[in-house]
Amino acid sequence: MPAGRRAIVVGLAAVLAAVALLAAALAGPAQGERKQHANVIVSLDGDVSPLRLPRGRPAPVALKLDGGLRTADGTLLPRVTTVEIALPSQGVVSTAGLPVCRTGRLRYARPPEALAACKPALVGRGTLEAKVLLPGQGPFTIHARLLFFNGQAGGGRQAVLLHAYTPRPPIVVVVPFVLRRRRGDFGSALVGRLPPALGPWPRFAHFEMTLGRRYRYRGRRRSFLSASCPIPPRFTAGFFGLARSTYTLAGGRRLGVEIVRGCRGR
Amino acid sequence: MDQARAKRRARSPIAAAGLAAALVTAAAALPALAGAGGAPQRSQYVAKLERICKPGARATQRAMRGARADLSSERLAVAARKFGRATRIFSATVRRIAAVTRPPGDVRQLRKWFAYLKRQQAYLRRITDHLQARRAVPAQRLTARFIHNGNLANNVVLSFGFEYCSFKFSRYG
Repeated sequence: MPAGRRAIVVGLAAVLAAVALLAAALAGPAQGERKQHANVIVSLDGDVSPLRLPRGRPAPVALKLDGGLRTADGTLLPRVTTVEIALPSQGVVSTAGLPVCRTGRLRYARPPEALAACKPALVGRGTLEAKVLLPGQGPFTIHARLLFFNGQAGGGRQAVLLHAYTPRPPIVVVVPFVLRRRRGDFGSALVGRLPPALGPWPRFAHFEMTLGRRYRYRGRRRSFLSASCPIPPRFTAGFFGLARSTYTLAGGRRLGVEIVRGCRGR
Repeated sequence: MDQARAKRRARSPIAAAGLAAALVTAAAALPALAGAGGAPQRSQYVAKLERICKPGARATQRAMRGARADLSSERLAVAARKFGRATRIFSATVRRIAAVTRPPGDVRQLRKWFAYLKRQQAYLRRITDHLQARRAVPAQRLTARFIHNGNLANNVVLSFGFEYCSFKFSRYG
């Protein structure tokens, strides 16, 4: 290979390596961020798409999160009573003009029935894994399909209704995640209390969810989630806390982890 | 006389073997004794490091307050001063925790962690230099590496359950 051409190839490889490194850094570590509290490891991973966002105004986005709990030594997971997903301040949650689904329409409904009743209010989908240990039986894992609907909790509070369905054994659970405003880097949080009726056996292990919905209202395009990348013109990318998951365990102990991701200015 | 010498000669290999065995036992017991007095258990080590890191973590938070707003408003020199202070705090903390005796079972893991911390230190120094020179894009690229490296550092010592000694981006403004 001629020296000039080799230099171009080497230069190109260096540029590609640098781009790959930056992309890895913007995306975060492969397994996401993890934190260990005594024997329990909390993990969270996620990203926002698109990555390239306007600097001065919010644009429609979808948020993908993947997280959960596991024990360091493989022993039984502790029981979770509350799950909180905090979202960044530069994100906007808008439900103006979005239909509201009532909890009663989702109870006892399998996913096709839930969608038939509330599809216009759908704001996300996902999956959930839980370990179940029934007395006198070996532990087993249940896989649930998740649907998220725009809804209301008690007292008319703005909420996202989580509809979880597992075919084996057939169970439907509806949990309202109340939208709460917070101060600091995470301006809003979805807080869901797991119903005591679930009993002490299912142990929350892992979830994966994508929130995002674009719709039209009064002739205007709207989005359930919007975000901007507020960086000055001199910069091309910025970094922000994308999400924080916090689990409250039976007994009151709180475990959490937050993730930092990047955005690119448009 | 000859009989006594013969007896001594016959006893000496036994005595030598006994002495050697005693020495071997003593040598084997030495690390254990040192462990009881010198080398700490992991929990003691973590507690000691957390005591050192806690004031540093809080001082970093104070030093970096408003840095994000400074960068957003392109006050790069002001942000550079804050990063400079954070670098000094971080370096001093790393120097102090590096001097603490490590639990024998965790030496390899901790060596890897300290290698990441040294890299963090270098990134912070270079970010400060770039900001001082008003080079925004190189500073931003290094910030991406700083965050990524910090997460890798955390993963190495995940089982230690550090709070103040772990990397937290939110401490940096």
